[in-house]
Amino acid sequence: MSGATTDRVQFIGDKTKYKEKGGAWVIDLPRFGEVGTHHHTYGMLTPYFKGLTQGKLLATKCVNDNCPISKGKGELWLPPRADCPDCHKPMIWEEIKNPVGEIFTYTFVERGGSGLEIQAPYYQIDVLMKGVCTIVKGYLVNRNRPIKIGDKVKAGFRTGNEASNTCLDLYWEL
Amino acid sequence: MIKFGKGNLRIPKWSRPVYAVACGMTDFRKSYPEKKLEELTMMAFRMMLEENDLKMDPLEIKNLINFAVYGEFADHFQDQLLCEAKVHDYLGLDLLYNMGVKTGGATGGTALLAGATTIASGLSDCTLVLGWERMDEVVTWTGNYYIATAACKDFETRLARIYASYYASMARRFQEMYGVDEKVRAEIAVKNRGYAYHSPFSQQPGKHTVAEVLAGDIVCDPLRFLECCAMSVGSASMLLCTEELAYKLTDKPVLLYTAGGSHTLRTGDRRPMEIPLLPHEKSSDYEKLYKDMEKQKGRWPGFESFGATRFAAYLCYRMAGINNPIEDLDLIETHDAFTISDLQTYGDVGLTLYGEEQEYVRSGDCYLKNPKTGRQGKCPANLSGGLLGTMHAVGATGIFSASEVMWQLQGKYDKFHGDPKMWERFGKKKPKDWESLQIQGKPKKGCYISHAGVGSHVTVGVLEKAW
Repeated sequence: MSGATTDRVQFIGDKTKYKEKGGAWVIDLPRFGEVGTHHHTYGMLTPYFKGLTQGKLLATKCVNDNCPISKGKGELWLPPRADCPDCHKPMIWEEIKNPVGEIFTYTFVERGGSGLEIQAPYYQIDVLMKGVCTIVKGYLVNRNRPIKIGDKVKAGFRTGNEASNTCLDLYWEL
Repeated sequence: MIKFGKGNLRIPKWSRPVYAVACGMTDFRKSYPEKKLEELTMMAFRMMLEENDLKMDPLEIKNLINFAVYGEFADHFQDQLLCEAKVHDYLGLDLLYNMGVKTGGATGGTALLAGATTIASGLSDCTLVLGWERMDEVVTWTGNYYIATAACKDFETRLARIYASYYASMARRFQEMYGVDEKVRAEIAVKNRGYAYHSPFSQQPGKHTVAEVLAGDIVCDPLRFLECCAMSVGSASMLLCTEELAYKLTDKPVLLYTAGGSHTLRTGDRRPMEIPLLPHEKSSDYEKLYKDMEKQKGRWPGFESFGATRFAAYLCYRMAGINNPIEDLDLIETHDAFTISDLQTYGDVGLTLYGEEQEYVRSGDCYLKNPKTGRQGKCPANLSGGLLGTMHAVGATGIFSASEVMWQLQGKYDKFHGDPKMWERFGKKKPKDWESLQIQGKPKKGCYISHAGVGSHVTVGVLEKAW
């Protein structure tokens, strides 16, 4: 049976290799063999990607009382960013426990571009989460049910040996 | 909530006026093995110098050029860094300085913006602006991946590797927020591809029907095949100059005003803000919209609108003296890479209020011949055939859009689109049922939009008849 007929969308890519340098994960983005590989750093966002592989969703927030927007009580950023764009001070990490959200919008990807690591077709969804100032883009592992804006979703993670070490380690399910 | 400081909203002002006097282009094709890239740019350059009724010998005009600005979207596609140097040398412009600009789909518009600043500032009296893209060296699915590298590589590119998916989620949201009938999107595809039928430059002309569009394969739900532009090859150019030179070179010079706006690469990172109002709008116009958005947990610009387009229009309209676009503009070229982006743009540029974009298309005012009234629409859109019908050789696109507006203002639609020899030049035969899409009633001002990504960079330009 082809995977496309099952309800669960599979990760079909290779595990992304990384090396830890200066506390950051530097991932391999192969182009043409070993000498043609890009070594791309997750930099100060390494805790996010590392967190996914441990089943944790980490976001950042601004706690600077003098920030004109957050006034020290910033909402969470997801994707995270290390520095606040409004006051330029470093933000702090916070784990979102049992992450849930609702579908803000979505599309059904019939076919992706070359090199796609998710088995098409699948729903690409944008998730609205309480207390998060951004809307995070991701993919849904359920493929066979029709979905609509406002549907509730919960986060799932590819962890341990299953981890891809990329943003695809976060997925959503109905 | 994002708030602007007063200084952020300064209205741009050229230190001296900027004029456009001539433009040229290739035809546009999915694949163009007959010509190398430099040879294509020469076609556009030659047409610009030789076929715009300029009052000097083409080589004399070339002797006036001080500076060149080049637009190319992606080194990936050309597989050649510093293409600008190859093109510049090929056009015989060494040792003049040139610079390349890259702002995604808005590259052509940004090249015009950068070129205009060289005239306005006094750096140059005569500037060549020329753009290109060659997207036929790789298969479409790899081309899609290349384009998708213009999404965030850490958090979004891996999620689809096809740009239509990032647009489709906006289409879905816009559709549900405003109750858009998919037939309205299909109507846009039919209109723009239909206009392309009359252009010898067009890549995807077609006399389609709404039913045909809706029966097409889905690319990314809800966008269907005929609602998306295609990979494209070609070049376009425009010559900018000072007021003094403009009147020496042509009897039909055109003033150029342009400004830009930018917004985050990741649509979901757009934080809510108040709508920057255009000169004809009042905050009370949007009281209901804000409430409706709140009910649907929406926000402005959210996924529904393009903050960068609105910001660019906010600046450019005031710069160009556009007080009410539907009254002051005689035509527009939108960046219709997808039907949905055409629809979304009508609110952003104030041809209608936000939330009423669908009604605007239904009103027929975006047609040359309003299907409702049988008369000319108030602001016909994409008479060139747009990106859906004619081209999206990305680095050339904004320049192509501006050129088509300029030719319309000059009353030269028929000259460039109706001459059988122009069709023959590109190996085509002028259709027997060809129709002139020249705007009637002496158009004075036209607008073009040049747009990148999911709205990351947008320039709005206004061209004004100056004779």
